[in-house]
Amino acid sequence: MAGIVKEFTKGLWAEIPPFRLVLGLCPTLAVTKTASDGFGMGMAVIFVLALSNLIISAVRKIIPKKVRIACFITIAASLVVTVEMLMQAFTYPLYQSLGIFVPLIVVNCVILGRAEAFAAKNPVHLAVADGLGMGVGFTMSLTFLGAVREIFGAGSLFGHHVMWAGFEPFQFMVEAPGAFVCLGVILGAMNFLTAWQNRRKKAAGQNACLACAACALAPAAEEQQS
Amino acid sequence: MAKADTLPQAPFLTVASPPHIHCGRTVSGIMKETAIALLPAVAMAVYYYGFDALRVIALSCVTAVVVEAACLKFMHRDVRVDDFSALLTGLLFGMLLPASAPWWLVMVGAAVAILMAKQAFGGIGANPLNPALVGWAALSISWPAHMDIDASMLQTEMVNAVSQLKYFGLDAANQLSLGQLFVGDQLSGLGSAQVAALLAGGLFLLARGHIRPHIPACFLLGVVVTAAIFASVDSATYAGPLFHLLAGSTIFGAFFLATEYASSPVNRTAMVLYGLIGGSMVVIIRVYGIYADGVPFAILLVNLFTPLFDLIKPKPFGAK
Repeated sequence: MAGIVKEFTKGLWAEIPPFRLVLGLCPTLAVTKTASDGFGMGMAVIFVLALSNLIISAVRKIIPKKVRIACFITIAASLVVTVEMLMQAFTYPLYQSLGIFVPLIVVNCVILGRAEAFAAKNPVHLAVADGLGMGVGFTMSLTFLGAVREIFGAGSLFGHHVMWAGFEPFQFMVEAPGAFVCLGVILGAMNFLTAWQNRRKKAAGQNACLACAACALAPAAEEQQS
Repeated sequence: MAKADTLPQAPFLTVASPPHIHCGRTVSGIMKETAIALLPAVAMAVYYYGFDALRVIALSCVTAVVVEAACLKFMHRDVRVDDFSALLTGLLFGMLLPASAPWWLVMVGAAVAILMAKQAFGGIGANPLNPALVGWAALSISWPAHMDIDASMLQTEMVNAVSQLKYFGLDAANQLSLGQLFVGDQLSGLGSAQVAALLAGGLFLLARGHIRPHIPACFLLGVVVTAAIFASVDSATYAGPLFHLLAGSTIFGAFFLATEYASSPVNRTAMVLYGLIGGSMVVIIRVYGIYADGVPFAILLVNLFTPLFDLIKPKPFGAK
């Protein structure tokens, strides 16, 4: 159980796909004009990622090593076609606004990356937890990026007007360059946050170890060795 | 490695130990004199557009300097706003705006210019594109209605030469005499079409040695040659070289925007190519593009060529 929780939660922050692994950038940049587009794309990816991890993990022992990539792609492609048809049937407006990027989930690096790096080596229950976690992390990232771009670029959030009455939208943000600028700023902010946390952890660790001289010396010795 | 016997025996270059004589040229000095070179154009802008011009330019300068100082403070660097580079960016940016620009437009643009185009790439001397133009481009994409000079400046009698040419054809553009264009009696960004004043400022910069003549001369040559080619194809549709030189911000671009130090190449051949491509791009955008005044985008495009042009290197001193 602990293993499942660990595999699920790592996708939410520690290895959140677009911002930490920097994988799956094509939909991250292309379909985040609005928060709801980002959310819809994320849901489609959760579906494909969890199921592809499940199937690949289940058949991992019978896939020959040499043709594994082709097998992964075939499995992902079948699932994507399913998603595409489901979206056409039930959420047609979303399908229209995502356009070509739904079929392109097949070649999304997150799908192949998790299949290769995790599902092909781990048992089914862990692979599903990993796929779900990564998918939820991906959805959160896309929704967040979409929300930021929508608030500044259109003055609304999930289609509801949120800025003041005289607000003139900063259209740059919903154009292509705005996506790159936003992604860069978010990546920078994540690195800044991590560096700050590490500094604080280090400082806290040193304070706690003041009584114990050996502890304080250990990092210094390590540094000398490396 | 070269063989020992091919190496020069006598020293080629002798460098004495310090202290050295300093020629007195500093970053702040160059920036200050470039700003001084722009002052006649600012004065002309105030003459044509009234105190709105002063309001926009001053706000743009102040925002640029404040944002630069805040950025440097945040990054724990020396707060070197006294090198006047941010002030110059703000000044150049303000010159591109229409006199009707609301305060928030000016502030957002100046902040984008400093944050996104300059500090994000490492501050002074590291920007791959001209910061003032990046600010202008971001605003033009975001708020086309406010940045459209014809639509936002309905209260003036002045006529925008380049958009007359674009939307009403050559006959409408020829209503403006060349002398009128030369003294800046044309609607445009605040300081970007004060041709006579900018020419005086540009010549001052050349005389002081702050810019090399290659880029402005080749930029103008590129404009003239391309415009002449178009005019020779069909002189009833395409405007002649003189019109393209004097209308819009060609002179401003040639002397002040294209020559920005960090985003232009350093080698002589490279500068010539850079100027020629930039100049011809201006006319091509004016003829085929959707933007009436092609200068800002032409210079942004040619700025992107700079890393390529910088591959043209001089032979190292003493090399065989």
